[in-house]
Amino acid sequence: MIGFENVRKEYPGGTLAVQDFNLEIASHESVVLVGSSGSGKTTLMRMINRMVDPTSGRVHIDGDDVASLDPVQLRRSIGYVMQASGLLPHRTVLDNITTVPVLRGTAKREARERAHELMETVGLEAALAGRYPSQLSGGQQQRVGVARGLAADPNILLMDEPFGAVDPIVRHELQRELQRLQHELRKTIVFVTHDIDEAFLLGDRVVILKPGGIIAQVGTPQEILADPADDFVASFVGADRGARTLHIERVDGRDVVVDADGRPAGVLAAQTAGRAGDGPMGERPS
Amino acid sequence: MSASTATSSTATQVLFDAPGPKGRRRILLLSVLSMLAIAALLAGALWQFHANGQLDPNKWIVYLRVDYLAFLGQGLWGTLKVTAIAAVVAFPFGLLLALARISRFSLLSGAAITWIEFFRGIPMLLVVYAFLLALPAFGVTFPRFWMLVIPMILVSSASTAEVFRAGIKAVDIGQHEAAAAIGLSRRDAMFSVVLPQAVRLVLPSLILALVTLLKDSTLGYVVSYNELQFQGKTLVSITRYLVQTYLVVSLIYIVINFLLTRIALVLDARMKARAASS
Repeated sequence: MIGFENVRKEYPGGTLAVQDFNLEIASHESVVLVGSSGSGKTTLMRMINRMVDPTSGRVHIDGDDVASLDPVQLRRSIGYVMQASGLLPHRTVLDNITTVPVLRGTAKREARERAHELMETVGLEAALAGRYPSQLSGGQQQRVGVARGLAADPNILLMDEPFGAVDPIVRHELQRELQRLQHELRKTIVFVTHDIDEAFLLGDRVVILKPGGIIAQVGTPQEILADPADDFVASFVGADRGARTLHIERVDGRDVVVDADGRPAGVLAAQTAGRAGDGPMGERPS
Repeated sequence: MSASTATSSTATQVLFDAPGPKGRRRILLLSVLSMLAIAALLAGALWQFHANGQLDPNKWIVYLRVDYLAFLGQGLWGTLKVTAIAAVVAFPFGLLLALARISRFSLLSGAAITWIEFFRGIPMLLVVYAFLLALPAFGVTFPRFWMLVIPMILVSSASTAEVFRAGIKAVDIGQHEAAAAIGLSRRDAMFSVVLPQAVRLVLPSLILALVTLLKDSTLGYVVSYNELQFQGKTLVSITRYLVQTYLVVSLIYIVINFLLTRIALVLDARMKARAASS
């Protein structure tokens, strides 16, 4: 369990990134912090592995105040996946994945075996093990980033806008993979994004933040959609524009689901059954 | 190589308009004229040499004599030895200086800054004189070899320190963050993430520093160490063929430095082709 208690972060010069933040994240839960830039979402997430220390208040993991833990040891025990993958360009895919386990004292051979398993888990071909990050597509790099985050088998996985830099098709694919992974691995995931659709897709619970790290609403996607706490949340999730109110239009004898702007969102399920066999889009290296 | 040529040519096309027919004609005309001017200068120089009897085959044929070549070869060996030893000490030392300079301990960084600025600022000849004239006055003497090599190390360590520092600064700040986030200590991050990338970035500049070092070794004539320049000087006093000797010596320097520069270019291209990411 991860807990934030009266956390406040003030930067020198008086910028107030987080005012007074309280939140509890249960084990095996995936929580998405979502907000626009300046909402303090990344700052909050980085307090968990002490990349940022709060000015006051405390952050604890399973009852231990993180301030009492050695930052380096703490970070090695927590998986971290960042935007644009943050891979080390001078090391091969395999070496990137084994970096943390080797630092923690795992034998090199064992770490390599595990890295190969992880590559399979995140859907990377074994042939890519010897490549350098620059030789991979954006989506593949991001998969390596996830594999590296999981390499030391951490209980907690922090994800800092990990899919922000890839194109929509690949992003969608990666989101699906993450859902599948989370279903298998049951990690505690803290995920930061500014994309509300991504938040709703990936979060057991979603925390919508206003500037200054103020919680606008916490809840399951269903709760937030069904009952936005205020106008801010309503506009953030697009409920006020009616962007999420769908209706049915009849086109060529079929029922097409259309959103408020008239963009088609899909066809009614009964009519798509015949074409359900279509596989997901394949990912190609750029 | 072809890829880098292609990108540079597109960069040129972006920055400058392609010349039109008039422009192309003007460029051609000026090129031809300047070629003619250079050819005329060369011809003039040769003519002058000829008029003074410098082109007399007898004055050149001696450089094919085995004993003369061996004499110059001895000098070349001295030059290479001095350069290699200076580089082997100065480059790692420069790296240490760079690390000291960016250290969080102000005493260490202050000392490094003083060292770097001092030896970067003074001409190497003065340092050589210090070892040749000043220190012996206090009873401190060195063999000729070290009177040349130590000043080379002092001066080169200061300039390569700055090369390394530039390389360290050039590594993407995101790499420090990424390293910290996955649990590398500051030292681990520096040694296993930042430095390997920094050294790769500055490798071509280091080879150019090697060229500078090789040229600095000509100050060996000041301390009478048997490097190429000094051997050339001695040869002149034997043969009296000043122009010929120095032309031959220059040619040797040019060939070696050309080779080194080629290596730098090849390394640069190879690195760009391999891991030019981030």
